[in-house]
Amino acid sequence: MSVKADSKISKIFLSVDKKLAQVEAGILILTLSIMILLAFLQVILRNFFSYSIIWGDPFLRHLVLWIGFLGASMATKENRHINIDALFRVLSPAWQRRAQVLTNLFSAFVSGLLVRAAFVFVRDEYTAGTPIFLEIPLWPFVSIILLGFMVVTFRFLLKVFFPSQTYRRLSGVK
Amino acid sequence: MELVLFGLLLLLLALLGTPLFIIISAIALLCFSSQGIDSSAIIIELYRLANAPALLAIPLFTFAGYILSESNTPKRLVNLSRAFFGWLPGGLAVVALVSCALFTAFMGASGVTIVALGGLLLPTLLKEKYPEKFSLGLLTSSGSLGLLFPPSLPIILYGLVAKINIEDLFLAGLIPGILMVVLLTLYSIFIGKRIRLPAVPFSWANLGRSLKDAAWEVPLPFLVIGGIYGGLFTVTEAAVVTVVYVLVVEVFIYRDLNLFRDVPRIVRESMLLVGGILIILGSALGLTNYLIDAQIPAKILLVMQENVHSKVMFLLMLNLFLLITGCMLDIFSAIIVIVPLIVPVALNFGINPIHLGIIFLANLEIGYATPPVGINLFIASFRFNKPILRLYLAAIPFLIILLICLIIITYCPDLSLWLVEKAGTPSGNF
Repeated sequence: MSVKADSKISKIFLSVDKKLAQVEAGILILTLSIMILLAFLQVILRNFFSYSIIWGDPFLRHLVLWIGFLGASMATKENRHINIDALFRVLSPAWQRRAQVLTNLFSAFVSGLLVRAAFVFVRDEYTAGTPIFLEIPLWPFVSIILLGFMVVTFRFLLKVFFPSQTYRRLSGVK
Repeated sequence: MELVLFGLLLLLLALLGTPLFIIISAIALLCFSSQGIDSSAIIIELYRLANAPALLAIPLFTFAGYILSESNTPKRLVNLSRAFFGWLPGGLAVVALVSCALFTAFMGASGVTIVALGGLLLPTLLKEKYPEKFSLGLLTSSGSLGLLFPPSLPIILYGLVAKINIEDLFLAGLIPGILMVVLLTLYSIFIGKRIRLPAVPFSWANLGRSLKDAAWEVPLPFLVIGGIYGGLFTVTEAAVVTVVYVLVVEVFIYRDLNLFRDVPRIVRESMLLVGGILIILGSALGLTNYLIDAQIPAKILLVMQENVHSKVMFLLMLNLFLLITGCMLDIFSAIIVIVPLIVPVALNFGINPIHLGIIFLANLEIGYATPPVGINLFIASFRFNKPILRLYLAAIPFLIILLICLIIITYCPDLSLWLVEKAGTPSGNF
């Protein structure tokens, strides 16, 4: 299953993917910076002023969720998920390509099911209107689970259609 | 029958390189749907990632470790331990052991040690006429040495998954970790003596110079360990302080890294690994919850009780099982997937949960360099550009020593528990 990499539609998909990755990298750096600054501020406040920002800890814990999903989605792009590839390694290049189509298709299917599950979860949080702290609603914080799985699914699908070399070259993986 | 078929299919997909979190999620989805539970229950479990305060330590320590490995810290570390141990017979080998152990403690044994330090140490070892086979074996097996020292990532993860106090685990790992380094050191000195390497004289001037070079990095382990046990801060707070300290030192004092050119790249690199670990952890939360509801650990226990009659026998089987696991699975997935199933069984055989943690981690550490599929062998083969078979042979003497350590660690619980009890924190039954 190979799609012409230079067809118009392929180019659109791949450039969407590239843009997404740039946005993700930006948010990731921002999230980690906020995490470090806020957590450090908490340590200072707690140890020297016996005070702590009341929303600081729940906020920090949700940042971990964001970092996890941003990292996981980028790992999907760069083929860096933790896996066992004992069998894959001994295959010939032609069979490796076939194996990749199979595993990516399966991965897209499973993460597609997770998108559905995450949608139900986020929708329920939205209707329930649970607050994370004070009056701030929880659902925007957990929506990263849905967004994350959506991007992951999208990327697995792209990888079904493009051989990994082409995908890496055209979607800007270093 | 269908179940077996599904199982085989998933195994095949896993061996072909399907990401582990997909495999785990697929099993979880199957289990939940077979019980008629909506799949969103899996996400409810996954969301527990945002309810574990100690989880914050994982991105922070990983980031700090990557900053250290991308700066000139490895070079300064090697210089410093050379000034300390270089005069011993086989001194350079000891230097390699000590620097690898320290480095891995901060990097969490993700293969980075071999890439970052191995490349630096191998040419030096060969230049000083150490046999190639010895040098390769040394660096390959040292790639995960130090995994038992704080603040190593696998220990933190184990504490989180097994719900054990991480500070206790840090203490428990110290003596077993030192035992491994000491026995390997003795072996290196023995080899150094036998091949009559010329000893380099000890020099105070040299030591002073390398101490001065690394003056800002030397306090780091003391800051982390001292801070935690001095009661100054928790593990998570130690992680925050480490990140800030490391950033300031490497970016503004040593100026090894540029804040705008290098640091964003390091954020990306390190968070890729963190994302990979967290998504497996998240997907496994749903599955283990199901397995515990379905009383799988109790069923395993029942089978074990019928066939295994003594604690020693159980430990032996555990060792074998974990060694195989350790060379098949990477340490993070192994902890996440296997710990929840093993812990209840081991408790029933009267094994202290903290001791169990150390056995677990020591096993996986050795599994890293165990032929035929230990991942460090592949990394070393790739990094040093040597055939994998040569590395198998080279690693064997070191593996034998590490296995001796493993036996001591497994059958002398006091080695792990003495410090914990000394520190006065309630050990054992939590």
